[in-house]
Order: sequence, then C-alpha cells, then structure tokens
Amino acid sequence: MGKRSSRGPDGAIVPRKRQKVVHEAPTSEEIHASRQLQQLLSFSQDPVRARHGLQSFKLFLDELLSLDGKDGDRFRILRGFLDAAKPAEDDENPVYLPEVMQTWSYGGQTNNDNIMSAVPVVLALLLKLLSQSLDTVQYGLGICRTLLQKRQQELIARNLAADKGKAFIISPTLRMLRESVSFDGGAIARPLFRARASMLKSLARNMGIVHVGDEAEDAKRPSTRTNAVLFFLSALRFLHPEAKKELLSQRDIVAALTRDVKQDPPYVVRELLAGLRSHVLLDDKLPREAKASLLTTSTLTRLSALYQYRLDTPAEDEPSIADIAHEFLMTACTNPSCGVLRQDSGFYPREIDPNAAIPSAQLDDLGLEAIVWMNKFKNEVPVRNYALSNFVLNLRPWSSIKQAELLTSIFRVAPEIVAPYFLNNKSFTFEPKLSATWIGYAAFLFNTVTLPIPDYFCRSTGFPELPPPTSIVIDNILPPPLNQKALSRCLANKSNMISFFATRILVVAIEKLDAAIKMHQDPSHSSKTVWAEAARRLVDEFCQRSPGIKDMINAYRSIPEGDVLQREAASRLLRLCYEVLPQVALMAKFDVSPFLETSLGRLSKQEVDDCRDTALSLKELENLLAIAGYSPGMRWFAASEALSLSPFTLLLKVCVDTPDGVTLETIRQVLNFVAVEQQLVPADETHPGLLALLEALQALRQSAPNSVALVWPFLDNCLTRCANAPVKYVEKMQDLVNEAGLSGGSVSPIAMAMLEQLPFVAAKEGEGARTTLRALGRFLPKFLGLSAVAGESKPLLDLLFSKMVTHLADSKGKLAKAGVPEGLRFQHNPWPPVSEARAGETKHPAASQENGKSEVILDAETLENTLHTPDGLEADNSALTKWSTKTADELVDEGYLTSLMALLVSEHTSIRKEALVNILKAAAKIKQSEYDEKEQVWLLLSELAETARDHINEGPLPSPLASFGCHALNVLRDPLSSLYPKVNTFLTRGPLWNLDRLPLVDEILSKEPIVGDTFYAQTNWLLGYLIDGLRTPRDLDLFHKKRAKGPIFERILALAVNPYLRLPLRTHVLRLLYRATCIEGGSTTLTTRFGILNWLEARQASSTDSSEAALYGALRWRIWETCDQGRLKTWSRGGLEI
Amino acid sequence: MAPPQKSDQEIAAEFTSYYLQRATKEFAEDLDKVRAADDFKNDALQILVSALQQGTTLFSPEEQRRIVMAADRPTPKP
Repeated sequence: MGKRSSRGPDGAIVPRKRQKVVHEAPTSEEIHASRQLQQLLSFSQDPVRARHGLQSFKLFLDELLSLDGKDGDRFRILRGFLDAAKPAEDDENPVYLPEVMQTWSYGGQTNNDNIMSAVPVVLALLLKLLSQSLDTVQYGLGICRTLLQKRQQELIARNLAADKGKAFIISPTLRMLRESVSFDGGAIARPLFRARASMLKSLARNMGIVHVGDEAEDAKRPSTRTNAVLFFLSALRFLHPEAKKELLSQRDIVAALTRDVKQDPPYVVRELLAGLRSHVLLDDKLPREAKASLLTTSTLTRLSALYQYRLDTPAEDEPSIADIAHEFLMTACTNPSCGVLRQDSGFYPREIDPNAAIPSAQLDDLGLEAIVWMNKFKNEVPVRNYALSNFVLNLRPWSSIKQAELLTSIFRVAPEIVAPYFLNNKSFTFEPKLSATWIGYAAFLFNTVTLPIPDYFCRSTGFPELPPPTSIVIDNILPPPLNQKALSRCLANKSNMISFFATRILVVAIEKLDAAIKMHQDPSHSSKTVWAEAARRLVDEFCQRSPGIKDMINAYRSIPEGDVLQREAASRLLRLCYEVLPQVALMAKFDVSPFLETSLGRLSKQEVDDCRDTALSLKELENLLAIAGYSPGMRWFAASEALSLSPFTLLLKVCVDTPDGVTLETIRQVLNFVAVEQQLVPADETHPGLLALLEALQALRQSAPNSVALVWPFLDNCLTRCANAPVKYVEKMQDLVNEAGLSGGSVSPIAMAMLEQLPFVAAKEGEGARTTLRALGRFLPKFLGLSAVAGESKPLLDLLFSKMVTHLADSKGKLAKAGVPEGLRFQHNPWPPVSEARAGETKHPAASQENGKSEVILDAETLENTLHTPDGLEADNSALTKWSTKTADELVDEGYLTSLMALLVSEHTSIRKEALVNILKAAAKIKQSEYDEKEQVWLLLSELAETARDHINEGPLPSPLASFGCHALNVLRDPLSSLYPKVNTFLTRGPLWNLDRLPLVDEILSKEPIVGDTFYAQTNWLLGYLIDGLRTPRDLDLFHKKRAKGPIFERILALAVNPYLRLPLRTHVLRLLYRATCIEGGSTTLTTRFGILNWLEARQASSTDSSEAALYGALRWRIWETCDQGRLKTWSRGGLEI
Repeated sequence: MAPPQKSDQEIAAEFTSYYLQRATKEFAEDLDKVRAADDFKNDALQILVSALQQGTTLFSPEEQRRIVMAADRPTPKP
C-alpha cells in the first residue's frame, strides 16, 4: 500500500492537523426598550444577527443579575419583552420565547455551535433571574415547560452529547438544566426526570470532563464536570424518593460522580458532600438499597481520598474538607439507615448456623471437632458487610488520626470485619521501630483490642447453642500482627516507649480475654462441655500469641526505678497474668519479693516531689501485693540486706505515712490478711485485726509525728518474732489470763510480743533508747486502748499495761495513773466495718447465695473449672519424629523432651519402645552438644530410660516417674531453682529408679529446703508433679501404698492442714484430690483409706473464707457422687451419707 | 471550708494532663528520636499525643480521682 498522500484530490495542500476553530466574539448593543429587545431576539437566518441579539440579551441579563434585579427600568424592559413573547392562554402547547427557541432550532439545523451555546447561556441566566421574584415565576415555569417539549428536548440532548471538547456548549446547557430542575422549589423536577433520556444524556461522560491546566479551576469559569455535578446535586435535592432511587441506580453516573472528586475545587467538594449527606444519607424516605447503590466500596474509597485533599484553604471557623469528609464517612459507615452497614452476627461469620442441632452424643465424643465450621475460618471469613470489609482495607489508620477513628468506629458497629481485616491486610507488621508509623499502628491496635466483645458474641439477646470459632475470637483479642515474636521483641526493645506500648496492649488484651472466658463459662449455656473446651482452646491460642511471662518479667525488671508510669503498667500486666492465666504465670516461678521490697523501700522513703507519683506508685504496689497473694512463698517477715525493716513492717509504714484517701484499701486488706494468717492478731470476724495497730500508729503520727519513726524498729522486731512463733505468744496470753484470774478473754498475740520485748529496749542506755521509750510511752497506751475498742479484754489489757509501765520512762507516774485510755475512736480506718472482703479471697463466678444464707454453693461445672488440671502426660505420638531436627536448646526448652518422656506411659508397647529408643538417642545428642546442663539432662534421660527398659513389655511406666522426669527437667534448666541440689543429688544416687517409690517426696516434705526459705516453693513443685503423675488406677496404688512415713495421700492431707500453707497451695492439694476422683475407684479409696469425707467436712467447718469453704463442700459432694456408694454404705454400716 | 468536689470531667482532664506530663518525662529520649524520624509529618504529632494518652483508659474514674486528688493533699514528711 502506498504512502497516503498529503494532498487533496485537487492537488491542494491539506494541512495534516485539525484546523483550529476560531471563535469570533459576537457583537452586541445596549438595550433600552422592550421592543428593541423583541427585535433583537426575533428569528433571523443570519447567524451574525442572531448572535448579536443573543449576546446583547446576555449582557443585559448579566447586568440585571449583578444588581439583583433591582434596576427597575431594565426590569420593566424585560417584563415588557416577556409579556409580548408570552403565548396565547388557550394554546395547547404553549411555547415561551418562541423566537429564541426557533433560533436555537435553526442553530441545530445549521450546526452552528455558537448559537447552540448562546441560547442555553441566555436561558440559564433568564431562569436564574426569574426565580428571584414571585411575580416572574410564571414566565420561568413557562420557559421550563417549553424546554420539556420534544423539539427542545432533542436540542438539549444534542447539546449534552456534543463533542468532549465543546465545553462551551455542554456547560451552559447543564447550567440551564440546573436552573430548571430547581426552579420554583423543583416544580418541574418530576416531569424533567421523566424526560431523563434527554436531560441526563451523557451525564456520566460530562462528569468526566475535568478542568485541565496547571492552575486551579476558576470558580467563575466552572468546568463541565463542575456543572454536571452541581446539576446532579440539584436534581437529588428536588427529586422525589422514587426518582432519586432510579437516578442513583444509574451506575455510570454514580461512579463518575466521585471518580475525580480529589481534583474538584473546594466549593464543589463541599457542595457534593453536603448534598449527598442531606439528600441521600439522611433522607429517611429514600430506601436503603438506593443509598447502598451510591455508597459502594469505590465511592467510599474515593471519598476517603479526601482525607488527603490538598486544594483546601478553609477559614479559621470553617471545618476543613478532610473534616467534612470524615463526618460524612462516619455517618455513612456507622449508621445502619445509610445503607452501607448491615446487621452482622458478631463473631459468628456469615453462612453458619450457631444454633445448629448437633446430637449431644456426638458433641460429647468429639467436642469442638463435631462442629464442622469450627476450624474453617482461619484464613478467610465470609462477611455480610462486604462493601465495608473491602473499603476498610484502603484506610491508613497508622498515619491519620481520623482514619483510625473511622476504622475503629466501623469495627465497633460491624465486629465481623475485624478478623477478615487483619487476615487480608498481612503486609503490615508490628515489628518494633521507633517511628511515627509504628506508634500510629500501635495506637490503632490498642483501640482495636479495647473494642468491646459483642453481646453474647452474636449481638443478640442470648447465647447461641454453639461457641463462636476460636480463631475469630482470638483475632479480636490479639489481632494477628500482635504475634508472639513481634510482641516479645517489643517487650525486649531497648526503647522504653516501645515496650510500654506493647505492655499496654497486652493489658487490654488480657482483660478482654478474661471477659471472653467468662462469657464462655456463662451458666446459661446448654452444651457446657463444648463451651468449656472452646474456652480452653482460646486460652491455648492466646498463650501461643502472647509473649511468655518471662519476657514480661524481664521487661518489668528493666524499667528504671523512678519511671512509675511504666512500672505501674508492667506490674499490672503481671498481675493480670496471675489472675487470668494462673497456669502460665505460676510456671514462671516469679519471686515477687525483691520487687515488692524495692517498691516498699522507695515508697517508705517518701522522696518523690509529686504526690501523684506516690499515688501511682501505690497502684504498682497494689499490683505487686496481688501477685504476692497468688504466688507461694512470699517472705513477709524476712528483712533483706538492703532494707532495715521487714516487708510487712514497711508496708505498714507506707500505709501510715501516706495521707488518708491516697492509701489503698487493698494495702490495708493485705496487711490484715497476712496478720491474721500469721496469727499476729485474733482470727475473729468481730475483731478488726490489724486495724487497731494501724489506727494507733496513724493517731500517733497525727499527734506526735516525730515519735512514729522511733517506734518502727521496735515494732518490726515484735512483729517478726510474733510471726515466727505465734504459739509462744498465745501461750503467754493464756498465762496472763490465768494470772488475772479470769476464765476467758483474749488480747492480740502481738501485744504479748510487745510486752516481752519492751524490757530489752528499756535496758539499753543512751539518749536514743530514752527517746524511743518516750515514743513508746505515747504509742502503747493508744494501741491498747484501741485494742479494747476492738473488743479485746479490758482487764487483761489493764494488766498488760501495768506490766509495761514498769519499763516505760514514767518517773512521775503519769502513764500509770492514766492507764489504758477509754472511749477511743477509730478515725482513720473504717471500724466497725460495713463489710470487708478479705484479701486473697477467690471469687467464683458461679458462686451463688441462696436465700440470704452465707453459705456459698458451687456447682460441678465451677468445681471442674477450679480444680481440673489438663493431663500433663497426654500422648502426642508425633513427638517421636519432631525432635530429631531440633537443637539441644530447643529439645529442652520447648518441650520436645517432655513429650518424648510422656510417651513412656503410652498404652501401646510399640510406642513405648520407640519412645525409649528416641529418648536414648536424644540423650546422646544432648551429651554431644554445647548445652550448659548437658551432663545432668543426659543423666536424667538415661536413668529414666534404664528404669523403663526392663519393664517396657509389661505395661506403661508408672505415671509419677514420667511426670517426675518432665518436672525434673524443668528444674535442671534453671540452676537457680531451689530444687536444683536435690534433683542432682537424686540423679547421682543410682542408675535406676525404684518403680514403687515416688522420687523426692521425702526429701521435700521432711527435710530442710537447703536453699533459704523455699519450703513452700518446693512443695508447690512437688504437688505439680504429683498431680501430673496421678492418672491411672495403678498410679493410685502408689499414692495409697503403706510407707515408712505413711502413704503419700496421708502426708499430703497433713500438709494441707498446715496453717501457714497459703491458698494457692491448698487449692493445689484439692486439685490432687480432684484428680483422684477422676480415676476409677479413686473416690472410694480416698473415703475408706483416708476418711476424706470427714476431712473435707472438718476443713470446710474451719475455713474462714466462704469461697474456699464452698470448694471443700463441692469436692466432698463430688467424691460422694463418684464413689461406690453401695459399698461405702455397707462399709460404714449406713453411717456415711451426704 | 472544704474545697468543692471536682467533677468527673475535670478529674479526667487533670489526670490526662498528668499522664502526658509523666509520659513525656519518662520517654523524653525516645520522643526526641521519634520527632527526628523520617515519617514524622502531617498528623504525626497528633497521633503521638493521642497514642500516649490512650493509657488513661486503663485507670478507672476512682483511680484517676485518687491520683489527681493526691496532689491536693499535703505531703507528710517522715
């Protein structure tokens, strides 16, 4: 094919480019009379004349409009012209301004763009002018109706569909339509919409003809898009709901409306948002579907781009476009009547039936596995709020506070999209970095975690039959970016702020977990076992995502001394761990004593400048005290080297030194609790306990501030002695009773200790001793007087004081004369109390009070929740293969070895044999490694294997031995453990373990703890291993077998009676008993061999704590329920029955 | 005469201001680093302040009151 010729057929040169259209400016003249106007606008086939007339009219109208129509003469000229051009009244199809319409039509026929443009220009101006006065409305309506006639409609459609480049035709037409649709309050909006085929012609395309150029769009020369958008908004304003619905269903128009919104001039964006808000969002008559068709994902996303709108320069008192867009999106996305938000089912995804009927037998057998959808939503979650779910992915909550607010507000009203949001938004990680983005993301995650759990998980009025998928619940508690690795690295980060942010998130997460667990335990569930299993799984999942408690402890440890805000948060986190995840927390063997001592030391020095810091430190102290209450082995009465006083006395001092109202009630409760436990004061409900002493000290501080400081060493000495040998002082009190010749009455043992120690102070020489004595002379009468108010025997106190006085510096006999003061009142402490809960009291959610009786009753479910411990030796056959690729550290620290050891109790010989071989291989691997404790671990594994080897074919290894192996491994990992010497001594004793003996029981229960005061910590470990080791009837035999020092059960029961054993350890003993009741014949053996029913009854009767008493009662009931009742009745000859 | 009881809003405002003051003191070094970070622009300062004060929600109104009111009490000297 030849090259195309650039010449025309006649050989003339044809320019290649399109010829430039040159608009010649029309001429015009000034108008002075109606008639002149009439002539100017009369139809003419001469386009120059026609344009001359139209241009003259345009200028005339422009001037009138600029004067708001106030130019009377000109207006009269216009009225005259309109009257003359008015059609006859009886005309069926009246045509207003017929000559102008004819000119327009002629322009159309001759393709004269200038006329096609000039007519709508003057009509738009004329309509605008006519709408300003009531007198002229009829002319305007007439013109509007004329426009609706077929001929004009065609012209309008043609104008609207003009070439994209012909904005000078399209824009005036759109302006004219805008004036028409809004004329006289939208009088012709309805018929105009009926003619939408013409009137809305190419509207979507015209919305896309944007302003081009480097400068911003001039408000006086609006772009085609601006005119199109304004026309659309006017139509929305004046159309009736049905028509609006139809208009909004035009997808192309709706899509074009917001496509270029980011480049629109500010006034258009403001009008657009205001118009859509008033006439779509908040229009009650508009159906939801119509609103939804506007507010699609893409509309919302484009509007959200306005958060970064840059063309805006708002006045000071004016909201910015970003603010208006934010308000708009907040309403659109969170108000259900706006059509976007749909009612969801909370944590239950779309398409599942949470009330599906599953046979109870199937649920009992398979548990959660019986629910087919339970594990289905780990990677994808179907939602009802599809548009919202897609929209939120476009938001940037980490870099904009408003976007974060929008997103969390959406999460709040549509909780179903939280989990899919994080599943679909995997790119963003929480890896710590000290940057604004990380902080923004952390703040957003904090807000997400703080969101409440939907009512009943499903936003309904009651719990469904089946629990929600665990993966969704956990994603709402700890969203996937908050994984173990990231959180651990945050906690360990050298920047304190990063660690602080992570700590706070974990605090709210654990609080939320607690709420979720409680909802799982609600008594109204019909299938309780499934919900209970779901709760356990939830806790497991949480533990997998949360950092270990050791990381939290280390983070706490690394906080500088004076940073009370961080210390408070970190201690709160630890406390929550103890309260909500006790299994995990107790494993860490966290010794709270040093922290408590530091905190007390700091508080007692009162060095801070700001009292608010003290109050915050007291919160930290409260948290530490709570942890001390949960963890065994707190040494209250042993002063460390760094402190001159014992922690107990320091706590008392803090309590006395801080002003009333700032002191925490908790501190008082803890002091009192410890004082009662240690028998410093009578354990009588009617006695205020330690409050008498506290009150006396506070009164002394008020009356003689200098004396208090002198009293502390003496008091500390007395308190420590009394706590170490309470019986001695009880006996001394008895002697005093006898001496006074009384038949009864009592005083606090601590008062007896004071009497005993006073002579030693008196015996000292020097000014210091004398001032101390004088201080005691002020303090002791107060204390004894308040003790009398507290209900102690006055004669005894008098006698006591008379003995004390001889040692006090009372040369003039004033003290002796005054005696023990009477009529003192408690001014700083509540006495008599309204009702005070004792610290350390466990709260049971299901505990109920019946008919006002004080007895708390526990149901079987709560008992199980409190005392059931999962099987620590549960077989996991995959352990046989998993270990081989791991390093020595991982084998020991991550539980691979314990899983292997646990397989020795398998029912299957082949598994046991394989486990044996693998244990030996693992032992060899460890011995060759660089692991610090490799020798001991190798020895442990080898001894266990040798012990198991000879009997491998006969049956499972006794569970206590396997359990001992697992627990001993944890001791070997930590050379600082108090049991480290004992375990090592045991291992070096011989290569084989006796199958009939339970290792280390004697060593722990009957011998000195070797390392410090760790008897209770060691007992805690022992009970842990015994509980895991009691699984089968054969294990049970080992527990009740006769031994030199008595059967194991007997010794454990004796241990539980020890008055110094704290609640957590007592509960551990009950767990062991509960475990026994789960074994066939366990309850019967406990009853016939150990009289357990009577033992529990006695414990229940002597317990001062109603919740604990209820636990004894419930366990007693459980034993009766699970024993061979017929046999027991015969055995007891009918004497035993509950 | 006893001073008039502060309203919950006043307490919350005072507590927030104390909390922020405490946080800026404890994290002075870290805050300087964040301010020097590349992405510290636009909303960043606002985000930082709001992120810091989020922690106030961890304190119940009673706890906030106790801490705020501590400032109004005379400090006893031992």
